[in-house]
Amino acid sequence: MPVYIARKLAFFLLAVFAASIAIFLLIRGAGGNVAAVILGKDATAEAINALAQQYGLDRPLMVQYVDWIGKLIQGDLGRSFRTNEKVTDLVVSRLSISIPLCVSGLLLGLLIAIPAGTYSALHSDKPLGALIALLSQVGIAVPVFWAGILLSLLFGVKLGWLPTGGWTNWDVSLWGAVRSLVLPVISLGLILGASLTRYVRSAVLDVMNQDYVRTARATGMTRMQALLQVGLRNAALPIATVVGLQIAELIGGTVIIETVFSLPGLSRMILANVSAREVIVVQSTVMLIIIFVMFINLIVDLLYGVLDPRVRLT
Amino acid sequence: MTVAALSTKPVRRRPRWRTNTTLTLGIALTVGFVAIALVSMLYLPHNPNVPRIQDRLLPAGSPNYLLGTDVLGRDILSQLMVGARTSLMVGAGGALISLLIGTVAGLSAAAFGRWADEGISRGADIMLSIPGMVTALVLAATIGSGALTTILALTAFFTPSFTRVIRSAALSVLQEDFITAARLYGRPTWFILVRHVLPNIAGVMIVQFTLYFAAGILTEAGLSYLGVGVNRPSISWGMMLNEAQQQVGISSPLAMWPGLAIVIVVLGLNLLGDGLRDVLDPKLARRSS
Repeated sequence: MPVYIARKLAFFLLAVFAASIAIFLLIRGAGGNVAAVILGKDATAEAINALAQQYGLDRPLMVQYVDWIGKLIQGDLGRSFRTNEKVTDLVVSRLSISIPLCVSGLLLGLLIAIPAGTYSALHSDKPLGALIALLSQVGIAVPVFWAGILLSLLFGVKLGWLPTGGWTNWDVSLWGAVRSLVLPVISLGLILGASLTRYVRSAVLDVMNQDYVRTARATGMTRMQALLQVGLRNAALPIATVVGLQIAELIGGTVIIETVFSLPGLSRMILANVSAREVIVVQSTVMLIIIFVMFINLIVDLLYGVLDPRVRLT
Repeated sequence: MTVAALSTKPVRRRPRWRTNTTLTLGIALTVGFVAIALVSMLYLPHNPNVPRIQDRLLPAGSPNYLLGTDVLGRDILSQLMVGARTSLMVGAGGALISLLIGTVAGLSAAAFGRWADEGISRGADIMLSIPGMVTALVLAATIGSGALTTILALTAFFTPSFTRVIRSAALSVLQEDFITAARLYGRPTWFILVRHVLPNIAGVMIVQFTLYFAAGILTEAGLSYLGVGVNRPSISWGMMLNEAQQQVGISSPLAMWPGLAIVIVVLGLNLLGDGLRDVLDPKLARRSS
């Protein structure tokens, strides 16, 4: 196990390093003269040079990269060119929206998918089992933002139960904040749940066809008992992998849902800064998201090692 | 418990009638979609970008405007038809380029030894953990938004998955005896890959292409909804949904049609992919039936 952990950890660090170079080159390499874009068309050459010098934008890319990544490791994400605010401060206030949204969406998705997928696998020949499979097939085809639009039409416009968008901050009204998150979380959770249901279903189907389940059934267990006692641990492996892979999808969904419901979260901040060419802000925030996704994948890998002893050996 | 209940059942396969229904429905929806996209190049009821204020916000079923008009009086049916063309081009384009790059990378990883495999597989892992939406945003910021940028973003997004699938399919073919025979006969590796491996993984490639085509349409719609995908005068279903939401608060009929179009087309392609998988690739079908 220690060797397995060390190997996964080393890959995590390597992956973060490689991704940081890729993001840096992508944003800087294709971007032209950053200082000129920030100051706009009417800026004089002196002003552009001054700004470039102030933020070290005139140095070779290599030096800028080392400077950026060195500070990032120490927790300094840099400052905004325009407002001189610390990126860390900008990010933290946004995370109080994005993280609850993302995490509750994932939890709701799992809460839907695990029972629904298991039921439809165990009862695939009954009407309800088939209906679940059909609903999940259709749900996969629904774009998450359309689900959001439809939900806000129904519960916001028609029934008027919940806000169609906008944000009430946690410290203003806890209830208001929860209310603004309900529809976004449901949209994310439903769509994620639809695709996860499919994976849970096929993982359970797969396990139920294995010899060890047949043996368990032969000892007199019901299908449910066999699934709970010997099947679940085996079915958990592919499901954990898929959840890990879906994290990247989930973040994409969060970006869109924040726009649908005009929530001032992390992704809306990135969208705004992308058009304002705040390279440092974009670079650092994007890097944070990537580190987060890679970290989740690391956890999934380690979990895999705990769940399945065979994985540690290969 | 009866003996029958305990008998070793053969691995559960999808019943044939269900495969047939899935495949038929998938083919029907997909052919309809491609046909509409092609027709849109030759004939449109109206110019989808020309506003006619006197005809604004007509309901579906109005004379001249089968599905009604939007807030500027632009024909919705014509917009949907051009949107089909965009989805076809961007979705299929992104999936096709990823398939080509992924095939080359996957085959190389499978055939050219441990270090090539390690390098390519780990590279794919790293790319997979960068959220596609984030890549797309960054690309849109650096090279500007548009259909080509969207295709590029889809390529960055899908290529690692294709690489993984092709690699594992190729690895299992490379273990077969006829490959050993070809090697003993002195065939060079590239010849074995092209002549023996490719035809044997063609089924996997077609199935994956179909499924990523669908995923590409969904992603393109999302990006265009965010305003970093396709812009007018091109038209995307995602962009139409964005306009519907902005123009009139939320106008329900306008927010219906493009969404329905996306669901039907993506569902059709997914069904087609599943149906084809049952026919072409029994090994995979067993796992995901």
